[in-house]
Amino acid sequence: MQSELMDFMMSAPPGISAFPNDGNLMEWTATIEGPTETPYEGLKLKLTFTFPSNYPYAPPTVLFKTPIYHPNIDFSGRICLDILKDKWSAIYNTQSVLLSLQSLLGEPNNASPLNGQAAELWDKDPAEFKRKVLARHRDLDD
Amino acid sequence: MEAFAQQPDDELAQLQELSNKWESDASGPLVSERVSSSAITTEYANADPVYQAKTATLPQKYAQYRTCRGDGHCGWRAVAFSYFETLQRMGNPHKFLEEETRLKSLRNILNDAGFQEHLYEDFAEDMFDLLRETAAANDGGASLLQTFNDPHRSMSVITYLKLLTSAWIQKHPDQFQPFLHQPVKAYCQSHIEPAICEIEHVGMDALVNVLVKPAGIAVEILYLDRTPGTEVNTYRFDPVDHNNAALPNPPTFRLLYRPGHYDILYKLEDLPSIVPPPIAHPAEQRVFLNHHQSTQALPSKLPFDTNNFEIPGLSIFSGPAVSGPGVAWAPYPTYDFSASPISPQPIAQPITQAIPQPRIEATPAYAPIAAPPPPPVSIPTEYYSTTMPLEPPVTSLPLYQPSPIDRGGPFRPSIWEYESYSMPQAPHPPLCQTAIFRNSHYNTAHFNNPDFEPEQWQPDTEYNPSDRSRKKSSHSQ
Repeated sequence: MQSELMDFMMSAPPGISAFPNDGNLMEWTATIEGPTETPYEGLKLKLTFTFPSNYPYAPPTVLFKTPIYHPNIDFSGRICLDILKDKWSAIYNTQSVLLSLQSLLGEPNNASPLNGQAAELWDKDPAEFKRKVLARHRDLDD
Repeated sequence: MEAFAQQPDDELAQLQELSNKWESDASGPLVSERVSSSAITTEYANADPVYQAKTATLPQKYAQYRTCRGDGHCGWRAVAFSYFETLQRMGNPHKFLEEETRLKSLRNILNDAGFQEHLYEDFAEDMFDLLRETAAANDGGASLLQTFNDPHRSMSVITYLKLLTSAWIQKHPDQFQPFLHQPVKAYCQSHIEPAICEIEHVGMDALVNVLVKPAGIAVEILYLDRTPGTEVNTYRFDPVDHNNAALPNPPTFRLLYRPGHYDILYKLEDLPSIVPPPIAHPAEQRVFLNHHQSTQALPSKLPFDTNNFEIPGLSIFSGPAVSGPGVAWAPYPTYDFSASPISPQPIAQPITQAIPQPRIEATPAYAPIAAPPPPPVSIPTEYYSTTMPLEPPVTSLPLYQPSPIDRGGPFRPSIWEYESYSMPQAPHPPLCQTAIFRNSHYNTAHFNNPDFEPEQWQPDTEYNPSDRSRKKSSHSQ
């Protein structure tokens, strides 16, 4: 975990950040900036990472804290992403998860939605989709 | 199959669902101690006849096995553990260094496959550490077993091997693509690299090709399934040299594959720690056949006269003065022939009492003799005719005939050597099971019998007073 933190601090890619909570290495808070040319452009999204004791041989539990409207994310912030479940590999880390999530924002997997309405709107009515995203979004500050 | 066809669809679907959900027992050690493989036979005692037949023949060929926990890593773990164990069995510390160097050189294919070095270097380092530790360990594999039962360390090694396998498949797409229904890259990401994914045949093939075969180790995979037959189907991977020719007699490890699960099997010859019970060496009794060597130990009781004891072509025996070609033998202190005062007469009578005891004491005199192979010894026939009654070996000869034991001595084998086995001093190796043991309570073989039901003691029947009176009366009759 420590080497992962070091890696992250040395070479954090633009648009994402992460840091342990109050010195607890097993609980991290992360932020993603909404990618450009997506409905999430300009939004800041907060997430929590909880690492299991057998990390990296099991995936961290990742939740969106910021309310978000997205086909693969439910209203409690749970994420449907294969690499956070059965396709998790020990060579993934916080950084690769955040980058995957960032690309998920722009390219949802509408074949297996957690939010069916969002999946439908994404294809049929992008304007309404964008309106729903902004309506649900709320900046968290702490 | 016909029986299945008659079942309603929903029942079939239910069975299929059960079958999909079934997972083998995910408890127990990650890699167990070696146990007798008759346990496998017992496990299948109530299974269908094909399994019964196949598992019944298994323990005869494969004496022991190790279980691997069926937690989704067993195939990877079985190969990894066996690889290390086989390297250790090869007993060459340089081999470990060789392997470390070879694996380090495979960094190229890892990088080519797009793995970032800082992401896999920890796993690779754990692999190299374990190679070094195993090379230094001299504990019969105890620390290796311990390491593989440490979840973190064994997962680290498994992860390294998964990455290596994935990189190997991606490096040789033409070799593997025909077996895949998706591009190699996608296959590796979904079926090789995930932290929890069991090894499939393609992965096993790649892993053996990248890890095991180049190390000069062969693998046998025994498929225990319901295909007809009485023996498990064996698939063998043989290491090859630079000219693609199979290496002769490579060290081999064996895996037992039951659909979805791998365990490790051992032939008796693979077991380093179990040495067959030492067979009593006939050296001590062998000595007296060449009695000229025993002269020092039995100077006064010799039944024959060394002065008259003739060996053609060897002047050393022709008289007290050592001369001629026999000089070369002089450094051996045993050959002190000049001190022999015995007269030629007493050949027959005294032998019976004198010989049997000192023969055994003569053992040390045999030891220093190694170099000069003596010519055929011609021995007076009277000598044997008198000793024969002492040892009646001929009856027991056939028992020991087939053992081609290397006796390590300079002497040509002689039929008379077999006599020694029948002497009471030579303990019988526990080869045969006596009827006494077979029927004793020390024999636990009956536990392997699936139909074995212990007789149950019931106090009611024993102490029922009316019953007792009946028994008494029956006894008195």
